Amino acid sequence: MALVLYTNVGNTNASKALITAEYSGVKIELAKDFQLEVSNYTPEFLKMSPIGMVPVLETPDGAIFDSNTIARYVAKLKADNPLYGSSLIEYAHIEQWMDFSSTEIEAGLGRWIYTARFGFGRTSFNALMCEFATKVLKISLDALNAHLANNTYLVGRSVTLADIVMTCDLCWGYSCIMTKAFTSEFPHVERYFWTMVNLPNVKKVIGEVKQVEFASAVQSQMKAPAKEQANPKEMKPKEVK
Amino acid sequence: MALVLHSGAGNKNAFKALIAAEYCGVKVDLVKDFQMGVSNKTPQFLKMNPLGKVPVLETPDGAIFESNAIARHVTKLKADNPLYGSSLIEYSRIEQWMDFAATEIDAGLARWLYPRLGFGIPFNAAMEEFAINYFKRSLGALNTHLANNTYLVGQSVTLADIVMTCNLYMGFSSIMTKAFTSEFPHVERYFWTMVNQPNFKKVIGEVKQAEAVPAVQSQKKAPAKEQAKPKEAKPKEVKKEAPPKAAEAEEEEAPKPKPKNPLDLLPPSKMILDEWKRLYSNTKTNFREVAIKGFWDMYDPEGYSLWFCEYKYNEENTVSFVTMNKVGGFLQRMDLARKYAFGKMLVIGENPPFKVKGLWLFRGQEIPQFVIDECYDMELYEWTKVDISDEVQKERVNAMIEDQEPFEGEPLLDAKCFK
Repeated sequence: MALVLYTNVGNTNASKALITAEYSGVKIELAKDFQLEVSNYTPEFLKMSPIGMVPVLETPDGAIFDSNTIARYVAKLKADNPLYGSSLIEYAHIEQWMDFSSTEIEAGLGRWIYTARFGFGRTSFNALMCEFATKVLKISLDALNAHLANNTYLVGRSVTLADIVMTCDLCWGYSCIMTKAFTSEFPHVERYFWTMVNLPNVKKVIGEVKQVEFASAVQSQMKAPAKEQANPKEMKPKEVK
Repeated sequence: MALVLHSGAGNKNAFKALIAAEYCGVKVDLVKDFQMGVSNKTPQFLKMNPLGKVPVLETPDGAIFESNAIARHVTKLKADNPLYGSSLIEYSRIEQWMDFAATEIDAGLARWLYPRLGFGIPFNAAMEEFAINYFKRSLGALNTHLANNTYLVGQSVTLADIVMTCNLYMGFSSIMTKAFTSEFPHVERYFWTMVNQPNFKKVIGEVKQAEAVPAVQSQKKAPAKEQAKPKEAKPKEVKKEAPPKAAEAEEEEAPKPKPKNPLDLLPPSKMILDEWKRLYSNTKTNFREVAIKGFWDMYDPEGYSLWFCEYKYNEENTVSFVTMNKVGGFLQRMDLARKYAFGKMLVIGENPPFKVKGLWLFRGQEIPQFVIDECYDMELYEWTKVDISDEVQKERVNAMIEDQEPFEGEPLLDAKCFK
């Protein structure tokens, strides 16, 4: 049963599925010659993923889009996968933190990175938007930090799907826009993140993570607003391997 | 096994769990006397959800937050629940559409709706345009899927339908008018079918589609850490995406009456702006002798001021019609100032890059603050007050009013008047 993952190299959303596969002993192949913003707008691709969202997993039963969903599917291929916890409440808490990661961390980072990178014309609205985005992200990171003060992992006593999703979302932030000055306000998140990315199954997929050094490195990448509606997911930068 | 849901009434995120409970035969009680902004700030509540967001489900094994996670948990309480599909791929598709509902529909609607309600980032026309375009794309994809599918997954209601319907409900009831949704007929069919299913209707009640897009409201000023609350009058769910600054319905400051425009409070001036505009428009011949002379006769330098403006990024103006559109857009956005301003905008040059320069007459001695605040083009221009004692500057004013060509040695591509 060959599973094929369509993604650009270094896409942290794709890493979610790949790391899950490492933990679950599932084999996933990467589609060849995938070019972001080209391959994901072909009619064939749009049949699989209606707004060109990347990554997409092709399974014998059909294609699935949305990174968290793909990770869940892969996890479920192994019966009683510890990644899913060992009780109903653990399962619920795993889903809870996965949603938190999506709606608070990924969305929060997206708001910030998108404005810093593409902006809305050269207006002071950009500065206002960045300020708003960082303020909201800090609130989310504060909550995460508080939880991780007393917990090594998000749920239970070992790595679960929630940790995989959260780590990948944080990785996007660490490598693009969150400098050490920013993240040092959240020491428990720091501890958590660096521990997670050094776990063998995670490191195998993500490789060495280099934290972005200057916020201005992002500003200098500012380019004119893209003609197509840029989806922060699609515009995920080529991650540091 | 008592399950208690902490939420205010009318919260679409709470509906998800309650509808799932109806389908599963699970009993979920709404906590009594929940007050948004109060009950979710207590230390006990924050132990359950450090973000203080709503809803939260209290179970015998601990508390759960995030509305989709709560709905999943309720669903799992019934073994082999049809709400979760009957195969691994169906399960995945359900999760897929649940995530789509969250990241595309819910987030898309929030981006559009909340600035108008005064939550989160201030309203900005460019941002709204982007938000609507992006949201239409997401809704379009959903519409296409529903063209061939009665339900999101399989042949019966699943958890994906419950989540999607609740998220769409926020849109239908607060900002998506019939004119808007009629572009997405399959979504309409789907939505109205779903909200009329007995288990849905029991929880949500009668749904009334918004008749108009809500007017832009002033930013709700409140302590920074406060979270959004659903207003009692119209059920609005708590923002999942970002905690906006908001005031609770009961404690809300009375909607501020629109403040008098400070320019109306200036001492009266002998210059009547409309008279100038009439003179400008009606003078067909001898423009210099009649209109320009008339302007300086009626000009009141104490009640009004003249300003030159120059676009800061003229190197961008490489395409003629794009440049002219840019100026046109600026003048449209200046509409709010019509009672207090007159302007001429010139697009200059034979070849790109074209230079955009303008002349503006404003009531008062300064550029009106409300114009700077509301019209985002203002900061794209360099503004200089005209010194009318300087003959050179005065002549430049004249040249700009009459569209003199050549202007500063160059032909005019276009001249637009704001009056």
